[in-house]
Amino acid sequence: MKRYVYINDDNLAQDLYCDNRISNRKYTIWNFLPKNLWEQFSRFMNQYFLLIACLQLWSLITPVNPASTWGPLIFIFAVSAIKEAWDDYNRYLSDKKANEKEVWIVRQGIRKLIQAQDVRVGNIVWLRENDEVPCDLVLLGTADPQGICYVETAALDGETDLKTRVIPSACMGIDIELLHKIKGVIECPGPDKDIRRLDANMRLFPPFLDNDMFPLTIKNTLLQSCYLRNTEWACGVAVYTGNETKLGMCRGVPEPKLTAVDAMIDKLTGAIFVFQIVVVIVLGIAGNVWKDTEARKLWYVRYPKQGPWYELLIIPLRFELLCSIMIPISIKVSLDLVKGLYAKFIDWDDHMVDLETKTRSNAANTAISEDLGQVEYILTDKTGTLTENKMIFKRCCISGRFYGNENGDALTDTELLNAVSSGSADVIRFLKVMAICNTVIPVRSKSGAISYKAQSQDEEALVRAAARLHMVLANKNGNILEINLNASLLQYEVLDILEFTSERKRMSVVVKDCQSGKIFLLSKGADEAILPHSHAGQEIRTYAETVEQYAQLGLRTLCLAWRELDDDEYQEWALMFKDANSTLIDREWRVAEACQRLEHDLEILGVAAIEDRLQDGVPETIATLRKAGINFWMLTGDKQNTAIQIALSCNFVSPEPKGQLLMVDGKTEDEVCRSLERVLLTMRITNTEPKDVAFVVDGWALEIALKHYRKAFTELAILSRTAICCRVTPSQKAQLVELLKTCDYRTLAIGDGGNDVRMIQQADIGVGISGREGLQAARAADYSIGKFRFLKRLILVHGRYSYNRTAFLSQYSFYKSLLICFIQIFFSFISGVSGTSLFNSVSLMAYNVFYTSVPVLVSVLDKDLSERTVMQHPQILFYCQAGRLLNPSTFAGWFGRSLFHAIVVFAITIHSYALEKSEMEEVSMVALSGCIWLQAFVVALETNSFTVLQHLAIWGNLVGFYAINWIVSAIPSSGMYTIMFRLCKQPLYWITMILIVAAGMGPVLALKYFRYTYRSSKINILQQAERLGGPILSLGNIESQTRTLEKDLSPLSISLPKNRNSSVYEPLLTESPNSTRRSLGAGAPFDFFQSQSRLSTNYSRNCKDN
Amino acid sequence: MEMDGRSSSSAVIEADSVSLQQSRRSKFIHQFTQQSLPACKPVLSPPFVISVFFVVGLIFIPIGIVALHASRSVVEIVYRYDGECVPEPYRSNKLAYIKDDSISKNCSKSLKIPKHMKAPIYIYYQLDNYYQNHRRYVKSRNDKQLLHGLKYHDASSCHPEDANHGHPIVPCGLIAWSLFNDTYSFSRGVVDLKVNRKNIAWKSDREHKFGKQVYPVNFQNGTLIGGANLDPNIPLSDQEDLIVWMRTSALPTFRKLYGRIEEDLDADDVISVNLFNNYNTYSFSGSKKLVLSTSTWLGGHNDFLGIAYISIGTSLIFIAFVFLLLHVNNPRPYGDTSNLSWNWKPISS
Repeated sequence: MKRYVYINDDNLAQDLYCDNRISNRKYTIWNFLPKNLWEQFSRFMNQYFLLIACLQLWSLITPVNPASTWGPLIFIFAVSAIKEAWDDYNRYLSDKKANEKEVWIVRQGIRKLIQAQDVRVGNIVWLRENDEVPCDLVLLGTADPQGICYVETAALDGETDLKTRVIPSACMGIDIELLHKIKGVIECPGPDKDIRRLDANMRLFPPFLDNDMFPLTIKNTLLQSCYLRNTEWACGVAVYTGNETKLGMCRGVPEPKLTAVDAMIDKLTGAIFVFQIVVVIVLGIAGNVWKDTEARKLWYVRYPKQGPWYELLIIPLRFELLCSIMIPISIKVSLDLVKGLYAKFIDWDDHMVDLETKTRSNAANTAISEDLGQVEYILTDKTGTLTENKMIFKRCCISGRFYGNENGDALTDTELLNAVSSGSADVIRFLKVMAICNTVIPVRSKSGAISYKAQSQDEEALVRAAARLHMVLANKNGNILEINLNASLLQYEVLDILEFTSERKRMSVVVKDCQSGKIFLLSKGADEAILPHSHAGQEIRTYAETVEQYAQLGLRTLCLAWRELDDDEYQEWALMFKDANSTLIDREWRVAEACQRLEHDLEILGVAAIEDRLQDGVPETIATLRKAGINFWMLTGDKQNTAIQIALSCNFVSPEPKGQLLMVDGKTEDEVCRSLERVLLTMRITNTEPKDVAFVVDGWALEIALKHYRKAFTELAILSRTAICCRVTPSQKAQLVELLKTCDYRTLAIGDGGNDVRMIQQADIGVGISGREGLQAARAADYSIGKFRFLKRLILVHGRYSYNRTAFLSQYSFYKSLLICFIQIFFSFISGVSGTSLFNSVSLMAYNVFYTSVPVLVSVLDKDLSERTVMQHPQILFYCQAGRLLNPSTFAGWFGRSLFHAIVVFAITIHSYALEKSEMEEVSMVALSGCIWLQAFVVALETNSFTVLQHLAIWGNLVGFYAINWIVSAIPSSGMYTIMFRLCKQPLYWITMILIVAAGMGPVLALKYFRYTYRSSKINILQQAERLGGPILSLGNIESQTRTLEKDLSPLSISLPKNRNSSVYEPLLTESPNSTRRSLGAGAPFDFFQSQSRLSTNYSRNCKDN
Repeated sequence: MEMDGRSSSSAVIEADSVSLQQSRRSKFIHQFTQQSLPACKPVLSPPFVISVFFVVGLIFIPIGIVALHASRSVVEIVYRYDGECVPEPYRSNKLAYIKDDSISKNCSKSLKIPKHMKAPIYIYYQLDNYYQNHRRYVKSRNDKQLLHGLKYHDASSCHPEDANHGHPIVPCGLIAWSLFNDTYSFSRGVVDLKVNRKNIAWKSDREHKFGKQVYPVNFQNGTLIGGANLDPNIPLSDQEDLIVWMRTSALPTFRKLYGRIEEDLDADDVISVNLFNNYNTYSFSGSKKLVLSTSTWLGGHNDFLGIAYISIGTSLIFIAFVFLLLHVNNPRPYGDTSNLSWNWKPISS
């Protein structure tokens, strides 16, 4: 759907498109209550609690005061409703602020100040320096005579550098006054979310220019929420407004994430619900039978002869209410509380502070910390995530001479410095290409120092390096470039820029030397994009070898080339290029084709090698996490060689000599299919051997594979625990995440740039690195960390502890509710199955809210193993990944324990408080105190490490229980007036308590000790090792120390000779040696070491030892 | 990480100045946020666990013996009279007997004192199979009315015994309505034994739960007569039988205090009981018993605690022995990391 925007036309097209009002709100004032309630009640738990609360209003069946359910229920609902309302109010405020911001627009030829929300499509908007762009504009004019302006697009794509935008050539040179009166039409596609692309056309009406069509690209636009920088003013015509802007279209509501633990808790809740229904039905029938056979004989009960029609339902409903506490209403509150605390612990952690930037880690999503402990796949971006994204020019090869090979830094290589000062022609040309062939903007500060603003870190590195070598890019004034070379000033006019695209893999500029008038084409790009276009007869083999050699070192390489152009050739080509640039259909392709026409017969000047250093601790982090059974996939937009090298140097695939890399590639369906099948076959064979096999796939093959061979690719994804996907687009990254998610794996995506956002949002857990590519990823992510190495701590410490703690807390919550519920059920057997509640309302409510929730809340401080032990034995994460601590069988244990404890409490209570001591309130309080005592000891037994707070909570809670009950017992109007004082004075009471504790805890302790000692789990063994110390632990220390030593060495060992000489291991791959050769560049497949990752994961899924 | 101290004692810093206290507090907060509070991590080591079982077992057995001794030292006479006190002709239709007001419910029995009984001797009546804890029953009372009398009007909870002939009943509800009405008197030889029927109810109930100004109104006035009637001239706070009865029992078998004999009874004394068997337990085949019992620090006769303590004590010691044997015969190296299965696998770099 095309739209025609009539510039500055107040009559036309006004109502066709929406106004510029932005709305991110979820609710309005009127629909808030119903909509919010509807949302809350769409959760099963909430529906259940509401039903129970409503039933309790019926006094005939309610065992307790309805307030005991309504109170907490209203509280919970109010809290989450208020939170929603607050969030929405903040959204409303920020919308309002944006909508009411005043902007200058042109109306009837006069500039007027209006609110941003009143901007209409077709209006001309005027912006001053540092103004925020209110809607998507097509530039018409700027203060700059060349029609350039600078924008900061951080809010849009997270990139903090300045980008240049130019006015369309049609508007070039229009006077400021005339801009008010400009008329024309812009033909542009309907709103979409592609922020890197706009294929539109503009036609100005006379008298401005002839009726020519002028192409518009994204370079001619100012998009909503960008900022105008370094430009006095700019004006543009609004083409997309309101929620139809590119930003507005990108905006989506991310789905709330549900953790595996939550899903398990929901499942268990469902099971308990079913159990409850069964109990209710059984007891209901028993109750009705007893009523008809026995209770009618009890004259003192005076059952009416004829009850109401619903008589049969009364007893089951009573039991439903009596058993409703089986599903604890407090679990939601406690879980929210502890989850909030987990997130806070991440925020607070001093070990996860990026010391360089002083940024702390941040958990934006407070609800999914447990999932961190259950991660199975990590999908990571490369640049900026594994590496620092701090490009440094390190080496170069100019006309066959190597610089920087000795000391690893070309900038300090005296040979190169001498060559520069002596004016060696080759070197000077090389440096000129470095300095000119780019889109870097030099910014001169007041002190005279030059800083560079670049879109690409590579370019910045090259320009900086050139400046260090006395080739200083001093000024860029419109099309005129100034370069300082050893104090002499050179001027060049930039005629055309042949931009970089990921398909072309190169960029070129056409410049005219202002002195000599000669025209040059300067190119730089990937070796495979430059070398084939060199002029005949040039010896390119040395360059190819150089590139390979640098790639082995993990350096990014760029080939630099140039060519002198004839004037005629250039003029002819320039027309074609302009033509291609103004096409609407397939413009990108047409432009690429045009560029191709010029970029040939290049003279290769040399190869520049840029280092992108690995972040600190990346190899160790990856090795540790792989040992923990987590599989890594690297998804990068970078090229295959670099990706493989980085993968090697950061333990992604272990180097030398057992493992192997398998290529999935091909350009056509058939090729991809064949290579996919080959790889699969190899995988299946090697799967039985202890081999670490990784596959490598590029974006093109991936697209075909995902489209046509999804099944095979899925199988491959499951078989292979490591993968390197290069040249993938953001949407492919997201697709891969989706693929793994459909296989039921827990995925974590980590990235740092705008291109990772979709993957981050798609994954179960998104982690953003708040790095140099801006904050966009960090903002979209659930967790943001400063450095990749913090991931280890995030998963092994925070994730693992969170999982363990939640596992305990949730099961314990069910345990305590079941405990009291079982006692109620037992009591119903001796109270004529009539549904009498043994406990009074106060006790029942306080039991869940006060008595039992505090001790368990401090389990957020519990640590089963110390952080150091976990780091030394990351394999222990299996327990979390496989969900060993929270699953139906562990839950059955807790269920059995609550049943056993209920029997103990009930039996002992009714026997020691029998006959003359069987007064209801007393028996009830004895049973309740028995429960409280038992649960205190259960928490104590399940606590692995006692801090002061835990002692305080566990034992303080017992004291608190008595304090509360003494207070209640002191109120004459309360039902349990004086009861607690009476009980506490009786030796019998205390003897009963001790008996309950001993009888309840003895078997539990014995069982636990037996398991701990004779059927110990790995966790137990490590606990014993760490707590008893001794030589065994230190052995573990030594072992891990040597291992880390090895690791330190391993990156060094990937020096070139080793890999180059490694034997070719190509089983089943001989069919198409070409493809393998090609994709590996050097034709040396990589054989990799085995690591036990795959085995370990099998183990985690299948092994059933204790 | 280095904070993983072995005990909390390391956290104890002498705080003699305010600044030190502040720094201690901020240190505590820091440790809390870093999750590095000094913690004590107990290990379930064999010596510890075995000795815990052993020691607890050893403590339990003597307690059990003491408790059992206390229970056995109680002298208790239980006399079930619901069957015996029905005259021979009515034995087949006890219900007719109990419902017939014209028949005298008087009944006598001689009881021999087996052992010396030291005063005070508690007189209980015991009901079996009587569901005072039935839901309809427990709910059928109104505490506010008991305290405030007719000033408190809403007696709907007392249904079906809330009003009679359109007038409210005080005390309302099934519990009061079904008040136990057997009476007992005792004599030793020819001398009547004085039974103290005062202070049998809880003091707190008399003072704070049952009104001093609340008199029975319209009680047992309906077509259906439940249990005992109340003297309308005595305030509820002095109707101790009612107060005792209204403390409902949680169990279907229970005893309630009837009175106290405040003189010692010697062994082989014969006392005769004269009782009025008014209360209907025949319709639901419940039983009625008269109990004379002394008391100890542990209460009345109840062997349960003693037996439970002794048996749990012995089983704990038994468990301790089993574990000891296991430990001696099958010692396990603690914390042997070579048992970790992942260490068996070849470790790659």
